[in-house]
Amino acid sequence: MTSTAERQMELTLPMVADIEIAAARAAGNLARELGMSSEKIDEMTHAIIEACINAREHSGCEDNRIYLRFVGTSQGDGSRIDVWITDHGRGFDPDEARSRRPAVGATHKRGRGLQLIEAHMDEVSISTSSGGGTTIHMVKYEKKNHD
Amino acid sequence: MTEELRVAVDRKANGAVLYTKGYINNVGGEEIANRAYELMDDNVRTLLLNLRDTKIVNSIGISILIEIIEKMIDKGGSIAFCCLTPVIHKTFQIMGLANYAKIFENEDTALKELGL
Repeated sequence: MTSTAERQMELTLPMVADIEIAAARAAGNLARELGMSSEKIDEMTHAIIEACINAREHSGCEDNRIYLRFVGTSQGDGSRIDVWITDHGRGFDPDEARSRRPAVGATHKRGRGLQLIEAHMDEVSISTSSGGGTTIHMVKYEKKNHD
Repeated sequence: MTEELRVAVDRKANGAVLYTKGYINNVGGEEIANRAYELMDDNVRTLLLNLRDTKIVNSIGISILIEIIEKMIDKGGSIAFCCLTPVIHKTFQIMGLANYAKIFENEDTALKELGL
């Protein structure tokens, strides 16, 4: 199958209150240009919001910046958006973070950001190391059956 | 950049409806909590949150909503939601709100079911 990268965007945002909205709007605009449905866009933007909040609240980075890259691609069976969100902070242990969270539906006040990200996106991978920062790569497909 | 949440209150004979407009984050969640606690102090025990003009919530805002629900349950009351977008509905289920608060598709049904 041939695929063509049609849209690409890179942003560097300061870690200030509500900056996640700017990131979400940028990704949403790109997704709309690709013809992605509003429900898929809403899911993706909520995941981006949680990833940016995690970076802002937990990374402890010194440069106070979030680095984002969006790539929108049209394919024969639909479209996809790849999102990379990077911070230069202390890193974290994703398995430990997952082990702390309760089951879906169990009421818990905090620490659900990663769970929401994984629920709202089709693919999520995390590259992180102690003191080496974190990059979360998320993919949203217009069609779920993308084999 | 700020995304201020606005909250409007409609008092009913047997409770109240809160209408939210905007982003429910930490600040927005606190704004809802302040209005909800004022109503609880005024003996309101049935509260409906209509989120028709809210398109984005984050996990911090939801954690505050959970605190409001817990406080209302402690007082013997109940909180319900209506007019959620599909992604907010899904997020509420993941976060566990659906276990402790009823969720209605529209306000008319909610008002009837809640007796407001």
